[in-house]
Amino acid sequence: MGDLFDTLLSEHLLSAITFLPLATVLALALCEGLFRLPESVWKYTALVSSLVGLGLTVVLWQRFDSASSGMQLVEFAAWIPAYGIHYSLGIDGIALLLVALTSFLLPVVLLASWTDIHERVRSYLFFMLALQTGMLGAFLSLNLFLFYVFWELMLIPMYFIIGIWGGPRRIYAGLKFFIYTMVGSLLMLVGIVVLAWLHQAQFGTPSFEYYGTNGGTGILDLSIPNAGGAWWQRQGFLFGVFALAFAIKVPMFPFHTWLPDAHVEAPTPGSAVLAGVLLKLGTFGFVRYALPLFPEAALDWAPWIVGLAVVGIVYGALVAWVQTDLKKLVAYSSVSHMGFIVLGLFALNSQGVSGAVLQMVNHGVSTGALFILVGMIYERRHVRDLAAFGGLAKVMPVFATFFAISTLSSIGLPGLNGFIGEFLILLGAFSSLPWATVIATSGVILSAVYMLWAMRSVFFGALSNPANQVLIDLGLREKVVAVALVIPMFWIGVHPSTFTNPMDRAVTELLETMSRRGADLATWQNGGTRVEPLVAATGTETSR
Amino acid sequence: MIPQIDVAAVAPMIPVALGVLCLPLLEIALLRTPVLLGQRVSAARRGTYLATASVLFLSVSLLLTLNAFSQPPRVFNPENPMVRMDGVALFLMSIVLIGAMLSVLASSKYLEHIHSNWGEFYTLVLSSVTGMMFLVAASDLIMLFLALELMSIPVYALAGFRRASLRSNESAVKYFLIGSFASGILLYGSSLLYGATGSLELDEIATSFDPEDALDLVGAGLVLIGLAFKISSVPFHQWAPDTYEGAPTTISGFMATAVKVAAFGALLRVVTVAFAPVSESVYGVLWVLAALSMTVGNVMALIQRNLKRMLAYSSISHAGYLLIGVIAGGADGTQAVLVYLLAYTFMTVGAFTVISVLARDGEEHDRLDDFAGLSQTRPGLAAVMSICMFSLLGMPGTAGFIGKFLVFSAAVQSGLATGSSSLIWLVVIAVLNSAISLGYYLRVPATMYFHPPRESAQPTGNASFFEGLVLAGCAAAVLLLGLLPQDALPGVSSLLQMADVNVLQLASDAAASFAP
Repeated sequence: MGDLFDTLLSEHLLSAITFLPLATVLALALCEGLFRLPESVWKYTALVSSLVGLGLTVVLWQRFDSASSGMQLVEFAAWIPAYGIHYSLGIDGIALLLVALTSFLLPVVLLASWTDIHERVRSYLFFMLALQTGMLGAFLSLNLFLFYVFWELMLIPMYFIIGIWGGPRRIYAGLKFFIYTMVGSLLMLVGIVVLAWLHQAQFGTPSFEYYGTNGGTGILDLSIPNAGGAWWQRQGFLFGVFALAFAIKVPMFPFHTWLPDAHVEAPTPGSAVLAGVLLKLGTFGFVRYALPLFPEAALDWAPWIVGLAVVGIVYGALVAWVQTDLKKLVAYSSVSHMGFIVLGLFALNSQGVSGAVLQMVNHGVSTGALFILVGMIYERRHVRDLAAFGGLAKVMPVFATFFAISTLSSIGLPGLNGFIGEFLILLGAFSSLPWATVIATSGVILSAVYMLWAMRSVFFGALSNPANQVLIDLGLREKVVAVALVIPMFWIGVHPSTFTNPMDRAVTELLETMSRRGADLATWQNGGTRVEPLVAATGTETSR
Repeated sequence: MIPQIDVAAVAPMIPVALGVLCLPLLEIALLRTPVLLGQRVSAARRGTYLATASVLFLSVSLLLTLNAFSQPPRVFNPENPMVRMDGVALFLMSIVLIGAMLSVLASSKYLEHIHSNWGEFYTLVLSSVTGMMFLVAASDLIMLFLALELMSIPVYALAGFRRASLRSNESAVKYFLIGSFASGILLYGSSLLYGATGSLELDEIATSFDPEDALDLVGAGLVLIGLAFKISSVPFHQWAPDTYEGAPTTISGFMATAVKVAAFGALLRVVTVAFAPVSESVYGVLWVLAALSMTVGNVMALIQRNLKRMLAYSSISHAGYLLIGVIAGGADGTQAVLVYLLAYTFMTVGAFTVISVLARDGEEHDRLDDFAGLSQTRPGLAAVMSICMFSLLGMPGTAGFIGKFLVFSAAVQSGLATGSSSLIWLVVIAVLNSAISLGYYLRVPATMYFHPPRESAQPTGNASFFEGLVLAGCAAAVLLLGLLPQDALPGVSSLLQMADVNVLQLASDAAASFAP
């Protein structure tokens, strides 16, 4: 038993982290089938399991070597070898941050929803932990088939979470969420299959392995033409289907319309996980797959994507400004903030990409926190209308403090996490995309406007509504949740290198891979003006 | 001169055919038990005994079929090979037998609930299965026609098995009229082909087929149309919704799976073997049928409120997905079709069985509203139904996804090899259709999980042992085939001491043995 445990930790750490949640709920369901368990057993077991997952992630963080390149802690097992489909997991610095975000958010969310969800608690925990396995698996897969399986499997638990515990329009919202995501990902499946058979055409065997494991070749070794050949074998089409799937997930304007519905109707924990982690899979997909695989097409499409990102930033902010529903406001702010992340990515320089990756974590923490805090007030008052509140700071000072910190983190106050991410993104984007950055910056200002506006109308002013006068401030459990959420905000804000160090290497490699695979990044990074290649110039001089 | 006949070649068909002869006798014996044993056997018991006996006959056939896999392909009569027991035939026979077994097991209690518990049921199912087994192995147009009729005629009767129900009668009459019309077209096409090529054997038709001659082409076209009726491909699909809705539910499941599997087997063989010289134009026709079937099937399914009708349209759309595999052709295309049919059988029988379990007191509960809140009243049924629905829509982790994936993969590979984009377009149409299908498949879990149960909605009471077996078997098969398609049959392989049974390998070997 002890040996087994050691092997699990030393050789199968990633699998352990990925499947611990699913194994926990399957075991619980089995026990439930044999003898009825009380709800509290489910609750505590799920919480403990997610805390153990967090502990394993800390072990993972320590085991991770920031200095070495490529994928680490790789695991491999044959699955359907005839098609080059394998179970292969691995982690790089970028995935590490997102895995950590997922493992961190889950126990917090479970604790936050301790009393919020009181119907069909067992099913709720089942879907929540199954969702966690799906998300972790999607971050850790190194096989495109496996990635697709996890990517799609996430939909089912989220669909049920929205549909069973959601608001009045939950069925519509769940279906919309499902259909939007699935349309994109099905087209991506076509792209994935084309890549696998291109691998056969170029290397002799079909393969879905992304970075050829065990010394073999992988999808990333394919040479994919950007012009010439059949339309469906070109980078343009393949990038298009991948980018569409990811853009819907992010969600980028104009594919964002599922998000306000899903967020508003989903129960608090659903919204928190959706905003906190699920959306990151879209941007993660760009970083991991769409950009390095199809760099030339990415550059061709980049002006459009940047344009949409900027539109999303400004549009999301403006729409958030006019919302009267607190949850909808946070939802639209997500559209705006996710636009920033895409902008940073498509700056395609190290500051921009690092900022984008860091901002993925930041947005996960701050927006997750905002949704959870909104949930706490909704649990008390069962309304989310801004007009129904006012002067809450007087009766709920602790709550107001935590809400203020999360708001300030979300709008990028120096000293908190949002500032670091936004600053890096703007820094990177300004050198590549000066005009887009100038417009995007207005989004920063607007976000301060609407978030502070919302804060003012909820917490300050006269405490006129009698229903608000009797509100009780946060209890111990809620304080623990809030403190847990605020810690990373300060940590990233004060000492960002804890989080940027592990990913630096991965970011550099991403840009190197893009250049190696034929993208003229230098010109793009210089704002579109062609840079004379220095190396070639020196070369001619010496030959002379 | 007596031809050399290899009776052992058709060994797998014999137990089922024997069953057709024995079951009526068994029923009479059971009816006469007061005389024989001095004790009455209740009608319910009688049904259970007959179902058990049918499953025994079917499983002996299945064992013989699986056993034949490891042997070289045999022909019934070398001089005139009407029946060719190659890998594809054996694989399809196995699917047919499994589908029939599941349908029979699901039926015994159900027949009682709809007040139609008569023993002929099992005889009819078994004779239809005999027809199917010959159909998938037929390498001769006469054999093909005879087998098609042997398969279809009992099913006409089965569709009308609820004698008291008008809908069931309507279903049977519609199915009979359109079915015999289709058979007529097929027969006429065969006769034209015979006139044009001078042969009824598929191989020889291929060698003397003249792609320039109108007679050949018309004959081929009519045969295709006849088969397109049987697989319920658009625009030859109109009978399916009415028939599936009116027929007893387990028979709808039987028609949607076993009958369709057998008809697809015939189509696959005719298209790949006999029409090889005109494959370009045949594939062109099938392309249109596939695109139409997927689109019309899915869009029409969206507006159905009756689950059996919805599943009928869904089966039409699945015929479209399957046709992509036929068009992709080659070993990979055939393998994809075989695995898809296997996956499709489990998920469809599972879904129909869930509906049949809800039938009580002569009434079906097959409307979507009847499923409201099922997750709270019958959690097990709701779970199996959800698994089947997610599999039908092609969610990863289920058999349906593996089927779809293999079909798409075969199409892309074929497109890459031939450099044509038309197959890629078809795949794009297929994935967009899968997205449409979300609209109605998801409605079922949504109704079961997101709506509160209605007052006096579902009848209470547990599923019978047999029904439970079918439900658990289908759910397990769907998940197993979806998660571990390589090793989906480890138990069976050790049981039969067969060296290498994994479904994908089996299908791919079968496909390779399919020599045009």
